[in-house]
Amino acid sequence: MSGHTVALTIVATVVLGTILFAFAGVRRIKMDPQQYIVGGRSFGTLLLWVLLAGEIYTTFTFLGIAGLTYSQGAPAYYIMAYGTCAYVLGYFLAPAMWRVGKERGLLTGPDFFQTSYNSRALGVAIALLQFVMIVPYVALQLSGLQILLHIAGYGAYNATTSTCIAFLILALFVFTTGLRGTAWASVVKDIFVLAAVIFAGVAIPIRFFGSPALMFDRIAQLHPHMLVLPPGTAFHGTVWYVSTVLLTAFGFYMGPHSWNAIYSARSGDTLRRNAMLLPFYQIFLTLMLFAGFSAALIVPGLKGTAVDQSFLLVVQHYYPAWLLGFVASAGALAALIPASALLLAGASVITKNVAGGFGIATSDAARTRLTRALVLLVALLALAVWLTAQRTVVELLLLYYNGITQFMPGVVAAFLWKRATAWGVAAGLAAGLAVAVPLAALNVSPWGINAGFLALAANVVVMVAVSLATLRQVRD
Amino acid sequence: MRPTPPSNAFWLRTLLAAIPIAALTVAVPLVNRIEPRIAGLPFVLAWTIVWVMLTPAFIWSIGRLDRHW
Repeated sequence: MSGHTVALTIVATVVLGTILFAFAGVRRIKMDPQQYIVGGRSFGTLLLWVLLAGEIYTTFTFLGIAGLTYSQGAPAYYIMAYGTCAYVLGYFLAPAMWRVGKERGLLTGPDFFQTSYNSRALGVAIALLQFVMIVPYVALQLSGLQILLHIAGYGAYNATTSTCIAFLILALFVFTTGLRGTAWASVVKDIFVLAAVIFAGVAIPIRFFGSPALMFDRIAQLHPHMLVLPPGTAFHGTVWYVSTVLLTAFGFYMGPHSWNAIYSARSGDTLRRNAMLLPFYQIFLTLMLFAGFSAALIVPGLKGTAVDQSFLLVVQHYYPAWLLGFVASAGALAALIPASALLLAGASVITKNVAGGFGIATSDAARTRLTRALVLLVALLALAVWLTAQRTVVELLLLYYNGITQFMPGVVAAFLWKRATAWGVAAGLAAGLAVAVPLAALNVSPWGINAGFLALAANVVVMVAVSLATLRQVRD
Repeated sequence: MRPTPPSNAFWLRTLLAAIPIAALTVAVPLVNRIEPRIAGLPFVLAWTIVWVMLTPAFIWSIGRLDRHW
């Protein structure tokens, strides 16, 4: 068999095997909205661990971290720092969000805003915003998947068709199994990704340089500037680093799918234990930094978006086809499984908050049916965005990251500042997005600060001012 | 309901939460160096990894103060 047949057969087998395993995990579970969207609020430490960690181990881990390290070096260190800071905040925030969700029977993030600020309109607005942010984020996962399949095929074919097929299979999988299926599939995904990450970060440096330490010796000789951050306000300098870590840590739990994951916990203590254990996961991300630095020495000279392929090209050039197959499988799962959580989140906010807000599909059976139909619709929309507007996907991703963080002031105020009003939260959100979107689109960072950070400041100021100016609405 | 922790524990646990976050953010410009290399890693990377590994101990201590475990 030729190399690409071997590698692609392995990828197909692993992806289908994972989906079958997840089907086995959800057999005999009756699907009502509570079960379908938040797993019946019954997930223990392990399932929750893999579900929350899914946020970190996406295709971005696989291609993006190595790519960023390859092209710039030290700025990529932020990836380890932001998740860890987020877990410290999450120890306090996630159990509070969970408790509110349990007491009020909430299923989605917009539910939280709607009930906290007693405004159905705010719930609808947040739901539509989350939906708009999810579609490009799913589309980005598809771009990652295409790169993986293209390299696993040794460039012998255009991977667009197989990317579409893989994605439609996934959509049907989410359609059938809901959040519980995604959680089971995440278990398999994490095992594969961990194995691939250890291979990339340990085996590659040992084979080419003798050890990771010797690899760093070479980098220190040839490209010492890559090992430390540029000073102060320089591009991706220390000011950018500190503001980016803080910003992304604040936004960490605000992803639409993170709400489903938090609500799915069995108890607040399950979430606290996870906050304590998840930093250990971050350690493995170090290995992707090693892989990126190694690739910078082994296959130098890649430019633009090609840097995302750097470490896979090392595997493709210097290792057997079966090994490339397994590494690409891990990457494919890292694209597909988080995408499945996103599809579910996108579908559930529309069912619960937009349709529900207009009195459509209010019975449990109708809600489950509508959520399922919408899973397929979100999947098709994401495919359409991906096929027609691939170039703008990266810009839309910046909107996603800077955008989700803007939900944070409204969440924190719901717990800590009783005078915040629906108008205040909505105005703050609008101000934050009005600052974040143009700055992100133009790729501007004033004074070296991450633009999203300035947007967050604008959001808080406007939220406080408008809340004080508007009449306080009735809140429990 | 769980017993409410004594009020002086509020500042202690705030401090315990702030230390790892500060170490991983505002302290980074101060340790942004290659030397001394730790186990071959540049100093700023080694610093980051060590703090990531220490963070669970801080969260564990907060959980003890809150009597969650």
